[in-house]
Amino acid sequence: MVDSAGLIDRASAPLLASPQLQPEPDSPKGGKFVLEKVVDGSLSSEKPLVLDSSGEASKPSSDEYAKLLRRILLAALMVSALAVSISAFFFDLHVASSLLAGALSGILYLWLLGRSVGKLGNGSKNVSKTQLLVPIVLFLVVVRLPQLELIPAILGFLLYKPAMIIQVLLESWETSNLKN
Amino acid sequence: MDSITTAASVVAAGLAVGLGAIGPGIGQGSAAQGAVEGIARQPEAEGKIRGTLLLSFAFMESLTIYGLVVALVLLFANPFAG
Repeated sequence: MVDSAGLIDRASAPLLASPQLQPEPDSPKGGKFVLEKVVDGSLSSEKPLVLDSSGEASKPSSDEYAKLLRRILLAALMVSALAVSISAFFFDLHVASSLLAGALSGILYLWLLGRSVGKLGNGSKNVSKTQLLVPIVLFLVVVRLPQLELIPAILGFLLYKPAMIIQVLLESWETSNLKN
Repeated sequence: MDSITTAASVVAAGLAVGLGAIGPGIGQGSAAQGAVEGIARQPEAEGKIRGTLLLSFAFMESLTIYGLVVALVLLFANPFAG
């Protein structure tokens, strides 16, 4: 760049605002930075201040999601138990067992869906479709087994929806109570 | 079950799943996009966003399941099979 006479070779020099400035070979390009204290002109790296936005900051939020999922699953279990006991009282045991099979597969479906939603953005880019195998397997089992009936099993599978609606209503009610 | 009923049932089952999955598929895609953007903008609200996403996914996928049930009924427990 600078010849023996001290002149700058403009043909090979990069086009900069000031020709005296040279680009640093290892300029920062994002990522994790560590700030170090400067004490009396010398660098002290005893307690570096680490600026990292990943990890600890999102833990309470993911705990909140896990808690919500647990509450929804618990509500689905309670609604299923209530529906199975009512159907066993008013109808026969075949209907109750079909409803129970459907309700258990609905809870399994909801758990799989919650797991895939929890993974979204943390490792997978899209929601998996494995949970859709649950109603297919339930249907095939109900069609093959003569002890189970189709309509109660499908209704039992869909019992997770009222459980979710109840859970959302309870949560919004709690939120409005906390605000007041 | 005669051959025309069988053929119509198979075609109707395919249409039920295929057409029934278009709307929820588009909806799930846009919901996931919005949720990921929201989490990226506001990481402290990740739990609430994921909870809302779970609810909306569950309600959207139930539409797909309705179509799936209709298709499975047509294939394995056909009421028109005489």
